[in-house]
Amino acid sequence: MQNETEKKLSFWEAYFKKEWSYTAGGVMLVILAVSLVVVTGKAWGVTGPFAVWGGKLFELFGVSAESLNFWAEGIATYDFFKDIVSMTDLGIVLGALLAVLLAASFKIKKMKSWRQVVAAVLGGVLMGIGARLALGCNIGSLFSALPAFSLHGWAFLLFFFLGAAVGSQMLKRYFM
Amino acid sequence: MSNAIPVTRTRRKAQTPEERRRSKIIQISLGVVVSIVVLFFAYLAQQTNPAGAFIILVGTGFGYTLQRSRFCFTSSLRDPLLTGTTDLTKAVVIALTLASLVFMALNMQKFGMDLKQLEVEKALGNVLPIGLHTAIGGFLFGIGAVIAGGCASGTLMRMGEGYAQNWLAFVFFVFGSMLGTALLNLMKTSPIFWTGTAVFLPEVLGGWIPAVIVQFGALFGLYVAADYWGKKKAGAL
Amino acid sequence: MAERTLDCLGEACPVPLVKTQKALEEMAVGDVLIVNIDHSCAMKNIPDWARSVGHGVEIEEVGEGEWDIIIQKMK
Repeated sequence: MQNETEKKLSFWEAYFKKEWSYTAGGVMLVILAVSLVVVTGKAWGVTGPFAVWGGKLFELFGVSAESLNFWAEGIATYDFFKDIVSMTDLGIVLGALLAVLLAASFKIKKMKSWRQVVAAVLGGVLMGIGARLALGCNIGSLFSALPAFSLHGWAFLLFFFLGAAVGSQMLKRYFM
Repeated sequence: MSNAIPVTRTRRKAQTPEERRRSKIIQISLGVVVSIVVLFFAYLAQQTNPAGAFIILVGTGFGYTLQRSRFCFTSSLRDPLLTGTTDLTKAVVIALTLASLVFMALNMQKFGMDLKQLEVEKALGNVLPIGLHTAIGGFLFGIGAVIAGGCASGTLMRMGEGYAQNWLAFVFFVFGSMLGTALLNLMKTSPIFWTGTAVFLPEVLGGWIPAVIVQFGALFGLYVAADYWGKKKAGAL
Repeated sequence: MAERTLDCLGEACPVPLVKTQKALEEMAVGDVLIVNIDHSCAMKNIPDWARSVGHGVEIEEVGEGEWDIIIQKMK
């Protein structure tokens, strides 16, 4: 077993494996988000196209785009490579995969219990509904909204915090 | 801590150094393959969108950064009350402060100091309507993010890391988004739930200076509160 | 000096940290707790928390994406 303080990191460990500090991560996210808004004129978002992706699935089963528009706005004109958010979302998944692979820490992690299945289903649905009602998620209605001096970013922060407090109690009671 | 903690445990199915070395080579090679896939997508995107390659690369940067720093918005708002840790909370406040400064500077550069020149719709970032729908949405989102083990960016990041739980959450996130879109469309017909007004702080407070005081004052207050809470919970105060 | 193992494999954040805190509360000063985890966020937030409280901490990667966090209760 190696001791942390005496352990010397190899080049690979230092640059591809060692976790960054939270603050370094936050600063890097700001730099990326600002470069995105400067180049494209649009702020970083994540969940905007999710409803359309769901709608596309229904379209495959023969539901028409017009009748889906109430559930998935903008589905008729959607184009993956014209939608900035869709592209950065793909990037997030690939970027995280890249980071774990280069750190040699990738492993597919299965779910351990039925509780986790229920948690994922319920949590996913709640996040989906919540993000649409609030006109964005923790990125679109917080990270790209609060710094823009929009009051709805502050409101989202407050109610996210309250929801998280209730969620924590539910997690402790039912999902642990 | 200078001495190793003495442990007598039997090592759990740990890999031998030889297996470890082999898996390291395989994983790093796969990492190189994924880099090529990213470049391929960047090339594809560039065919239809003049900024396509840039956008794909910035997105990849988001994912890489989120994973390497384990940055998690859910944790930043959940852990102060649940576990008493506030390191991430403070990092989020720092990031929001830095972003506020940059957004403000860019807005001023674009529109000048005079707010009359500024059209809120064209202000940088998302200045969007606030109302009861924001409160309900934020609350539901908070519950969901804690239960599912990740917010929107966190879910996508952990999908890349290979967590089945987050893949499942994502599928239902998509369906939930469809329900949410429909629900919002219904709410938009009622003035109780939907006002349609965006509140841009410099506009309602009557200028950049009061807005700066409120915005940065609140962020500073949050930082101090988080720092105090974290130290108190760790027994340092 | 007692030694205890806590299996948190397959558990997502914040479950490993909450369980670690609970386990350490029941242990005596000088005891060692070994937490098995495979959630990449827990390999950062558990050591960060334990250090902030003043416990001794070591991290060992025992396989790809799997870690043992070894904590000695100090107070």
